[in-house]
Amino acid sequence: MSDFSFDWRAFSTGARDIIALGFPGIPVGMVIGVVITESGIGDLAGWVGSWVILAGAANLAMLELMAEQTSAAVVLLTVAFINSRHAMYSAALRPRFAGFPRWFRFVGPYFLIDQVFALAASQPVDMPDRERMWNYFGSAITLWVLWVASVTAGLFLGDIIDPDWQLTFAVPLLFAGLMLLSITNRPGIVAAAVGGGVALLTAGFPQGSGVLIAIIAGVSASTLAETRLGAAS
Amino acid sequence: MSVWATVLAAGIITYLSRASFITAGDRITLPPTVERSLRYVAPASFAAIAIPATLNGDRFANFGDDWPRVIAVVVASVVIVRWRNVPASLLIGMATLWLILGVS
Repeated sequence: MSDFSFDWRAFSTGARDIIALGFPGIPVGMVIGVVITESGIGDLAGWVGSWVILAGAANLAMLELMAEQTSAAVVLLTVAFINSRHAMYSAALRPRFAGFPRWFRFVGPYFLIDQVFALAASQPVDMPDRERMWNYFGSAITLWVLWVASVTAGLFLGDIIDPDWQLTFAVPLLFAGLMLLSITNRPGIVAAAVGGGVALLTAGFPQGSGVLIAIIAGVSASTLAETRLGAAS
Repeated sequence: MSVWATVLAAGIITYLSRASFITAGDRITLPPTVERSLRYVAPASFAAIAIPATLNGDRFANFGDDWPRVIAVVVASVVIVRWRNVPASLLIGMATLWLILGVS
C-alpha cells in the first residue's frame, strides 16, 4: 500500500492554483443565491441544492425550471444533460486516479467542478500519486468553500452587484481561456474547433443535450486528426 | 415529486456523472484508441461551452449585441496565448467589455 498521508505542500499548491480560476464563480454563485430567493422553492432547499449540484449552469437551469413549476422529470433530465460533460471529465481523469485509495474514488468525484478538472487534467503525467491526490483536494476544497460562500452571500445579501457590470461574463471568458490553455498540439486545435462548431449547431437541442454531442464530436475528430497528423505535431 | 426530492435527485445525478469512470478505476479497461482520445476532452468541452457563449450569448452573458462579447473574448484570448495568465485575461477581458459598454 503506497503512502497517501496528507501532503500540505501539494494541498496548498492546488489551493493557490485554483483561486484564479475560481473568481468567475463568485458572481455566478451570488446570482444563484438571489435566484434561489426568487424561485419560491425555499431558501434551505435551494441552498442545499447549490452544494449538492456544485455546477453553475445546471443549478441555474434547475432553479428557473422549478420556479416555472416544470415537472420533476424535465428538471432532472435537464440537469442530467447539462452535467453529463462531467462523465467525460471522469473518463479523462480515470487513469490518473486509478491508483488512489478506494475512499478517494467515492469522495473525490463529488468535487469535480469544471475548473478542478481543468487543473487536474493539466498536471504533469509523471506527478506522483500522493502529490496528485492532495493537489486535487487542495483545489477542490478551496473552490467548494468559495462556491458555497458566494451562494450564501447572494442568499443573504441579495442583489448587491450592479448588473450593468456583467460580472458573470467572466465565465465565458474563463472557459475561452481554459480552452486555449488546454490546446497543446494540432489535434487539440481540431478538438476545440469541432467541439465549438458542433456546439453552435446543436445549441437548440432540448435540455442542453447539444454540449455532450459536441464534446464527443470534438474528441472523435481530434483522434482522427491525431492518427493522420501524429500526436507530436 | 417534492422540492427536496427533486433537489437531492439532481445532486445524485450530478454525482453519478462525476463518479462514473473515476469510481470504476482500474476495474475497467478502455480500448487504447479511446483512452488516447480522452486527452482531448478538455479542449473539446471548454470550446463547446465558450464558443456558443461568446458568439450567441448564454445565461452568463445575455446582454444586447454579440460583438462586444466577441471583442472582449478575443482580447482576453490574446492575453492568455501571450502570457498564459488567467487572472490578467479575466481582468483585461472584463475591462474591455466595460469600455465598450461604457459602464461607469
